[in-house]
Amino acid sequence: MSIVETKELTKVYGSGDTALTALNHVSIHIQAGEFVAIMGPSGCGKSTLLHLVGGLDRATSGGVMIEGHNLSDLNDTRLAELRRRKIGFVFQFFNLIPVLNALENAALPLLLDGVPLKAAQKKAAEWLDRVGLSDRHTHRPSQLSGGQQQRVAIARALVSEPAIILADEPTGNLDTHAADEIVGLLRQVSSQWGRAVVMVTHDPRIAAYADRIIFLKDGVMVNETRLEAGALPAQ
Amino acid sequence: MNIQWILALRYLNGRKLRTFLTTLAVVFGVLVIFGMNIMLPTLLKTFQATMLAASNEVDLTVSHRAGTPFNNSVLDEVRAVEGVRVAQGLVSRPLNLPADFFDQDPTQQDRISVLTMVGLDPALASQMRAYLMDQGRFLQEGDTGVCLISVTMADTLGLQLGDTLQLPTAQGLTNLEIVGILPPRMAPGNEEVLVPVSDAQYLLEMEGKFSSVEANFNTTAEDERAAIEQAVSSRLGSEYQLGALSSASEIFGTLQIAQNAFNVIGALALFMGAFIIFNTFRTLIAERRRDIGMLRAVGASRRMITGIILTEGLIQGIVGTLTGMVLGYLLVELLMGIATPLLGNFMNVQLQKPVVTLSIVLISSALGIGVTLLAGLLPAFSAGRVTPLEALRPSTNGKLARRMFGASAITGIILIALSLAALFSGQPALATPGALIFIAGLILIAPALVRPIALGFGALFSRLLAREGTGFVAQGNLTRQPERVAVTASTSMIALAIIVVVAGMATTIEETFMRVLRESLGSDYLFIPPSVGIWANNIGADASFADELRAIDGVGAVTSMRFSSAVADVLPQFTKGQSASTDGVAVSMMGIDPHSFPEVGGLEFTQGDPEVAYAALNDERTLIGNGVFMSSTGLKVGDTVPLITPNGTVNYRVVAAAGDFLNIKLITAYISHANMEKDFGKTEDVFLQLNLAPGADQPTVETAIKQVRQNYPQFNMINGKAYYEQMSGLMRMAFSSMYFVFLFLAIPSLIAMINTLAIGVIERTREIGMIRAVGATQKQIRKIVLVEALLLAAVGVAFGLLGGLYLGYVTTNSLGTVGFPVEYYFPWSGLLAAIAVGLIFGALASIIPARQAARLDIIEALRYE
Repeated sequence: MSIVETKELTKVYGSGDTALTALNHVSIHIQAGEFVAIMGPSGCGKSTLLHLVGGLDRATSGGVMIEGHNLSDLNDTRLAELRRRKIGFVFQFFNLIPVLNALENAALPLLLDGVPLKAAQKKAAEWLDRVGLSDRHTHRPSQLSGGQQQRVAIARALVSEPAIILADEPTGNLDTHAADEIVGLLRQVSSQWGRAVVMVTHDPRIAAYADRIIFLKDGVMVNETRLEAGALPAQ
Repeated sequence: MNIQWILALRYLNGRKLRTFLTTLAVVFGVLVIFGMNIMLPTLLKTFQATMLAASNEVDLTVSHRAGTPFNNSVLDEVRAVEGVRVAQGLVSRPLNLPADFFDQDPTQQDRISVLTMVGLDPALASQMRAYLMDQGRFLQEGDTGVCLISVTMADTLGLQLGDTLQLPTAQGLTNLEIVGILPPRMAPGNEEVLVPVSDAQYLLEMEGKFSSVEANFNTTAEDERAAIEQAVSSRLGSEYQLGALSSASEIFGTLQIAQNAFNVIGALALFMGAFIIFNTFRTLIAERRRDIGMLRAVGASRRMITGIILTEGLIQGIVGTLTGMVLGYLLVELLMGIATPLLGNFMNVQLQKPVVTLSIVLISSALGIGVTLLAGLLPAFSAGRVTPLEALRPSTNGKLARRMFGASAITGIILIALSLAALFSGQPALATPGALIFIAGLILIAPALVRPIALGFGALFSRLLAREGTGFVAQGNLTRQPERVAVTASTSMIALAIIVVVAGMATTIEETFMRVLRESLGSDYLFIPPSVGIWANNIGADASFADELRAIDGVGAVTSMRFSSAVADVLPQFTKGQSASTDGVAVSMMGIDPHSFPEVGGLEFTQGDPEVAYAALNDERTLIGNGVFMSSTGLKVGDTVPLITPNGTVNYRVVAAAGDFLNIKLITAYISHANMEKDFGKTEDVFLQLNLAPGADQPTVETAIKQVRQNYPQFNMINGKAYYEQMSGLMRMAFSSMYFVFLFLAIPSLIAMINTLAIGVIERTREIGMIRAVGATQKQIRKIVLVEALLLAAVGVAFGLLGGLYLGYVTTNSLGTVGFPVEYYFPWSGLLAAIAVGLIFGALASIIPARQAARLDIIEALRYE
């Protein structure tokens, strides 16, 4: 069964003469534990697709189903709840809360969901340990390297045991070494921990870690390539 | 602890400087609200006391119907009535002096044949009337065997400070040491000898008795005053009569103006305090938009976001409010401590303790905490309305903001148009709402005006700093963020507008008062009879005195007033405190020479053209009525009034409304000398004014004048300039409490302006790091911050001037609606002060942030979020 399913997903910005179609009738299916990379040139609609799937933005037409829930049927509160419980986000610029330490940042979705502080922190600590930050729990974002901040962001994305992780250029702000570590971690998230991972990237080397690559151009899905583990995608 | 508290506390703790400055804004807001409102009742009372005192009036006088002294327990009865602020018992009795008592010379006419001994309570008297000392000191508690006399009496009798005045009393001849000399007597009545009340009771055989009780109230509200009078009346019974200050009197009008002005200030304080808090919070929340977007992305609902901001606001609101109230109280104590000896020295006025009531505490808390919450909530709601994605993208804010600017600018224009319509409608009731609408309009239109104003001033600064190229950067920073600039500028606007308003009002009120004084009494010399105002009791002089004065070489012009009484055969307009009578209105008729009078003295016109009016006095039976005449007869300019004269009833036409200083409290009509002679048969001058010829040698001429006057000892000769200065000093004192209040309002708002400017710069830490990264020197950074602060201040100054001019014009005009003749004076001094203060404070505001910005570690600054 598909964890994520989009049907004829379309997003148009503006109206009339200034209307810009960012996404044009895109339909995809993503299975549990699958690692999917979305590639394409700048402005092709990669991030738009990710934002629509994550419920950060509303589609102009078409629909997104997450574990059978149609996002367009949900009001703002229910959508927020779904983001808390079913979806984990990883951003290019980490977007950690600067005044919270690593543990508190990682625990944020659970705390927002009303989980008691101790329980939330215990779980966050487990995830921080899993992503290799066992000695950085009390560090603030400003005291961590870019790679470490992204690991906190991944721990935060995973802490509420979501079905799907959405990563928007997660390595775009990192050096090659840190980028490899992070994408390796995401690989682990899908293959070992069974989450679906959808990653937007423009770097073929990073995309090569995925099970499948979807190519977008001018808002339309133009190609789809399934990869053997470790193989580079066809250009 | 839930996540809302954690986040709120972490944000507060993680941004210490920002938290400190924001809380400081709440502190200042509450400080202004709380401080002003606990101080206002005291200051209003002081102002009322001062104005009443300066005009020699009290709210209520109690005397026995039979005119006899009464038991001193009456004072306690009066004091027991709620609403009576202060009351004192007086002993007052005329002393008819035996012939030649002072000069022992039967060949000389006695210059003083009757005196009034007045016994007053040394402590309370100065709270009820102003005693401006010419020399020496006022009476003190515990004094005995001492007295105060006027400078004219001292001159007449050749007495000096420290001399002994001997008077016949019930205890035989009594010696009193002169411890103080008062200015020339201008109030109606005989020369007075002021002694402590206990001495007077003993000397006049009135022990345990008073001849009158005076009281001042703690309100100017008409119905409350009536209730107090009623309460005193029913408590004392019918054998006592009450003389109340007429609500038609000019002094009462002034008190009401003061009360309104103080109320406006109180409201302004509330508005300004709320505004400071609101603006600061709005800036902060706008800065947190990205964090809010991220929280929404990881699953926070709108309600949660609102909750976090509410919690944060609540903590800062509570801490800021409590601190603000404590600091407000301490500041008021401090200011009162400074002001009390000053006021005490000049005016013998005692300031009371600040009054903290539960309602003030509740209002301050509600506003301090409530506005903080509201200021956080509004932007939080608007952040919640956009999708998390939009909140995460900084670029979309601009678009959204621009959409909002369009709408708010249009609303602003509409509000300003409405307020201008209110201004030109001339409806006094629309003045206050009009002013508030104008300020609201300015605030709304501010973002749209920021760009043109910043570009204008920016061009100037760019030219000044052309070599460093920093002016453009600062200007660019400002025009890129018009909303933020507008928010900061509107805080400055309120502060600076207050300065302009104060200057406008102060200039206008002072100029008006001084003009009336100058025109009435501005001549070089005045010849005043012993009993001013009680004209009938005075022996005047025939025209030869004036002629002899005119004949002196070096005398320019001489003019005189003549007196007769008449009854205006009209139905009196009943006003509270005046007895009802159907016999018409008794009028003091003052004869003037329409040619020389305007040259030397002059009347202050409220209706009618002076030239036309003076000309008409000569040509036909016409009169000019003063304010009390117009209000008590109900006549208007153009009406004809039948006057009962010694030669029968004749009709006079009212040609203007105008008055002079000496008759300001008496129902007075001015007619020409010719008509005075024709209808009243009077040619006796009772008051004269003299101006020296241009270039005359004053000491020589003065000696000659004094020689002529020796034949007319019934007149006291007073140097007009000296008297004018004395009176203007008294008036300035009366208004000093007003300045004090404005100062209190202006200082915290200026500090708040520094605060907002500093926050504005701190918010830009990251950008400053970027500028450093691309090669700016520390000096350049300091200049950029300075120029930016100056530009911000300049925008604030521009709005402040607009707001201040409007408010100043409205407040000044509203004074006119209460019967106070005012003319608007353009507050040049206020404008210059506001510009100077705005720019200086702008520069001051940049010092700390500029140093911080220049010393920033570039990497740290770039990481700053």
